[in-house]
Amino acid sequence: MLSTQDTAIIPHEWYNVVPDLPRQLPPPVDRDEKNSSIQLLNRILPKTILKQEFTFQRYTKIPEEVQEIYAQIGRPTPLFRANGLEKALDYKGKILVKYEGATITGSHKINTAIPQAFYTRDEGSTGVVTETGAGQWGTATTVAASMAGITSKIFMVKVSFNQKPLRKNIMELYGGEIVPSPSTETEFGRQVLAKAPDHPGTLGIAISEAVEYALEKDLKYMLGSVFNSVLTHQSVIGLESEKQLEILGEEPDVMIGCVGGGSNFGGFVFPLMKKFKEAKIFASTASEVPKFTKGEYKYDYVDTAKILPSIKMYTLGSDFVPEKIYAGGLRYHGAAPSISMLVNSGKIKSSDVTESSVIDALKLFARSQGIVAAPESGHAIATAIEYARANGNSRETILVNVSGHGLLDMSIFQR
Amino acid sequence: MTPLILYFTADYPSTEILKSFLGAVDPDVVKYVEIGIPESNPLYDGPIIKATHSVALKNYTPSHLLEYTSILNGKGIPTYALSYYEKFSKQGISFAEFLKDDGFRGVIVPDLLTDYSEESDRIIPEIEETFNFIPFFNPATPDGLIISVSSMTRSWIYYGLQPSTGIDMPFDLEEVSKRILDLLPGREINFGFGIRTTAQIREVLDLGSSGVAIGSLLVEYLKNRDLEGFRKFQVSVREAPLNAD
Repeated sequence: MLSTQDTAIIPHEWYNVVPDLPRQLPPPVDRDEKNSSIQLLNRILPKTILKQEFTFQRYTKIPEEVQEIYAQIGRPTPLFRANGLEKALDYKGKILVKYEGATITGSHKINTAIPQAFYTRDEGSTGVVTETGAGQWGTATTVAASMAGITSKIFMVKVSFNQKPLRKNIMELYGGEIVPSPSTETEFGRQVLAKAPDHPGTLGIAISEAVEYALEKDLKYMLGSVFNSVLTHQSVIGLESEKQLEILGEEPDVMIGCVGGGSNFGGFVFPLMKKFKEAKIFASTASEVPKFTKGEYKYDYVDTAKILPSIKMYTLGSDFVPEKIYAGGLRYHGAAPSISMLVNSGKIKSSDVTESSVIDALKLFARSQGIVAAPESGHAIATAIEYARANGNSRETILVNVSGHGLLDMSIFQR
Repeated sequence: MTPLILYFTADYPSTEILKSFLGAVDPDVVKYVEIGIPESNPLYDGPIIKATHSVALKNYTPSHLLEYTSILNGKGIPTYALSYYEKFSKQGISFAEFLKDDGFRGVIVPDLLTDYSEESDRIIPEIEETFNFIPFFNPATPDGLIISVSSMTRSWIYYGLQPSTGIDMPFDLEEVSKRILDLLPGREINFGFGIRTTAQIREVLDLGSSGVAIGSLLVEYLKNRDLEGFRKFQVSVREAPLNAD
C-alpha cells in the first residue's frame, strides 16, 4: 500500500474544478421573488464556506490546523494495486484502488467535515446540525464537531436509522445527538409525518429538517455533498492520488467512482481529470436512483422543503422517494452541478448498478482483497468489475475510488 | 468622469418615470447605461431586479426603447440593451438589428454562456457584425471560455462579481478580480453585481476595474419616484474620492 505514513503526500491546497470546466457552471438561483434562498445561506453557513463557494478560486490553501488533523485522521489514504481482484477476474491490465475507508470514520466524509467544523468554531458558533443517510456523513460530522469543541445534531434518514443502529451508537459515542428523520422536532418533519406516519425518510427531507433546525436554533448547517465547496475539500482524494500514481509510475486509462451527491466522485476525479485528459470516466449510481439515466438536467431544489436555492443538476425531483436500498448514501435525488454538467456534455459516462450486482461485487472484493467496502463504494467496484470483464484482454489501468468501508453495513449480506 | 454604469429595466416603474430618471442621468458621472428588456423569467437576476421585471412587463412596449436611447444618446452616453437569450432564439439576428435601429450600441445576454453555450460560437460573431456583443462573465466562468469569447468581441466586458444581482454574499473580491484581470490584460472590464456603496465602488476601481455597474441600488429611487435622491446619489459618487491615488 502507498502509503499511510508519508504526510508529504497530503496536499497543502484544495483544488476547485470550476475555472477549468469546459462550460460555465450555472449559478444557484432563487425561485421566490420576496425571500432569497441564496441570501438565506448567509445565516446557516460559515462565512469562509460561502467565500469558497462563491469565489471559485482554483487553489485554496488548506489551513495548517486542518492539514495536521488530516494526518491525524489517516491521510494520506492508501492507493494500492488490487492484485487479488485482477487475478480473480483474470484481468490482463491493472486495477488500482484509492481507499478512503482507511480514515478514522471509515469514509471520505471526514475530509470536508473537519474544515467546516473548524470554520464554524472560528466564527464563534457553538454547534452544527446536518443530515445523514447511511451514517457516514453523520459520523464524520460528530467527530469533527467533537475535535472542534462544538456540539452536533444529526437528522438521520429513518430507514437507515432503523437498519444501522451501530451507526447511531458511534455517532453518540462521538458526542452527537441523533434524531430519526422525518421527526417531530421540526415543522417540516411534522408535516411529513402527518401525511405519512411510516414515511421511511429521504435525504431531501432530512436536509430540510436540518436547515430548519439550524435557522431556528441559530446553529451552522454542515454541507455533506452537492455544493462546490464540499467537492473542493474532497479534492484531497484526487490530489493525493496524483502524487501516489506518480510514485507508482502509473497513469489511469479509466477512472471510476460512485455518486450520491457527488462529493467523493468529484473530489477523486476532478484533480486527476486535469492531468489524465484522455481517461474514460464512469460515475456509478444505484439503479433504484437512476438520476443520470432517468433524471432530467434542469434547475431543481437541493432539499424537499424547498428552503435552499435551486441548482442546475440531474434530478429525479426533490420530492423523489427512492426504494429502501442499503446504499443510503446514494439515495439522493440529484448530483453536484459540476458533475451533472460533465455527464450532460458526455465527458463522464454513467453506470446504473443493481443491488444484486453490488452484493456480488462486495463479496468478490472482500474475498480477493480482504476489504469489506461500503455498499455505496460497492457500486464503483461493480462498475470496475464489469469494465474489466468486458475488456479482459486490454492492458488498461483502471483506477477506482472506494469511498468507505462497510464494516457497519453487514446487514446488506443478510438479504 | 466617474466610470459608473447604470442599469434600468425598461418601463419600470412606468415609461414616464423612467424617462424622467434618464433625463436626470449625469454624463459627468455615468459612462454607459444598460436598459433591461423585461422578461417573464429573468433567471439570473436577484429578487430586487426580478420584481422590476414583473412590473415592467405590464407596461412594456418595444417602441419605448427608442425614446429611452434618444434621451441618453442626446447626452452622449452609449446605451446597451440587456436581454435574455430567448429573444434571439425566437427572432434570430433580426433582434440585434432591431436593437441597433433603436439606438443601442450593443447587447449583453446574461444567460447565453450558461444555458446556450452551444450557440455562442455561432451567435456572437453574428451579433458582432451588427453591433457590439458585450460578454457577461462571472467568477464561475472557466478560463478557457473567458479567453475564447473575449477574442470574438471588440468592446468592453461585463464581469458580475456575485451569483445574482443585489445579493450580499461573502466572497474574496481581490481573488475574483485578479483572475479576470490577469486573463485579459489591457481589456476594458466593468464590474457589477452586489455593489452598493461608494466605498465598494472605490474598492473595485482600486483593484483594476474600468468601471462599476449599479442596478439594484437604483430600484428604491425608482420605486419611490425619488428623482432628487437619484440626483444626490450621482453627486455623492462624483464627489467621492474615487480616483484619489
